[in-house]
Amino acid sequence: MRETPDLGEVPIFRHLDEDERAEFEELLEPVSFEAGQRIFEEGTAEERLYVITSGTVDVYKKVLPGRRQRLATLEAPTVIGEMGLLTEPRAAASVEATTRVEAHGVGRDWLLEMLDADSPAACKLVYEIGRTLAERMAATNETVAGVISRLENTAAGGFEDVDVFRDKLVQDWSF
Amino acid sequence: MLEETLQGVRFFEFLTEEEREEFAEASEPVSFGPGENIIEEGADQGSLFVLVSGAVEVRKGLRVGGSRLLAEIDASRGRTVVGERGLLGESGASATVRTVGEVEAIRIPRETFRRMVQEGRPAAFKLSYRIARTLARRLTRLDEEVVEAIRELENKGETDIEAFRDRLITDWSV
Repeated sequence: MRETPDLGEVPIFRHLDEDERAEFEELLEPVSFEAGQRIFEEGTAEERLYVITSGTVDVYKKVLPGRRQRLATLEAPTVIGEMGLLTEPRAAASVEATTRVEAHGVGRDWLLEMLDADSPAACKLVYEIGRTLAERMAATNETVAGVISRLENTAAGGFEDVDVFRDKLVQDWSF
Repeated sequence: MLEETLQGVRFFEFLTEEEREEFAEASEPVSFGPGENIIEEGADQGSLFVLVSGAVEVRKGLRVGGSRLLAEIDASRGRTVVGERGLLGESGASATVRTVGEVEAIRIPRETFRRMVQEGRPAAFKLSYRIARTLARRLTRLDEEVVEAIRELENKGETDIEAFRDRLITDWSV
């Protein structure tokens, strides 16, 4: 595997200049995961941000006891663990490798230190993460609006069925 | 004068005086009459507004017509920020912010903010960080609310549908 990933191929690093990418490349440690291996486990520590350079991962959340919902399938090049950087370092969902995955990790604490020191590279990275979250928020707002409309139907007496509503909620919610 | 206005706003508290000064220079005072839309649902939402005085309603249009009141914000209870998502994202506004009476506000346009980012100004990045954290917290909280509701529905418990709806509406990110 390559010791240094080409961060220019990863969307959230695209707007960093060469020096800034080099700053991250120095910090990134290569790591690989086998198919089926869990990278993050829901509810446990999420202390690292991983840049995935090859392979595919699935994101799951425990929604009901004994059942877990697949929320997304992410393909390289992508980044996981970015929410832990901005909120608590606790994984809100599990992430599992579905193929062999080549990745590079960087500790959350390192990134936070860089942010505290006003590192332009870290600041730009967070700006790009923020832009993706702004778009995600827009999509979530639409989902929430849809859920609320269905709840209103309940109040109006035109409600389908609690089970149907629940299943739609599970499916529609993108998390 | 604008710097003093920003000083009382929680959203800008984490900035140094000099950084607030930078935003004060980048912003412009705006006034609205009663019933005017500061932000319009579906339209490009290109600015952050600090509400300095007056009150607004946040409304979301319904498919069947009419609109739902999501929030009422009274600036006299503390200066508040609306439209912060628009500085980072390009999607249209997800709700309308309409004045109730006369409203005085300060506007930070997206173009100005993006120019500050281009110039690598720490103040702009600090604000981005703040907005990103706010969005991340809201997204996480909404996810948890929905999971909780699904579990309650599954248990056929006494799911308080109205309370669930209110929790989803709280803290709506325009």
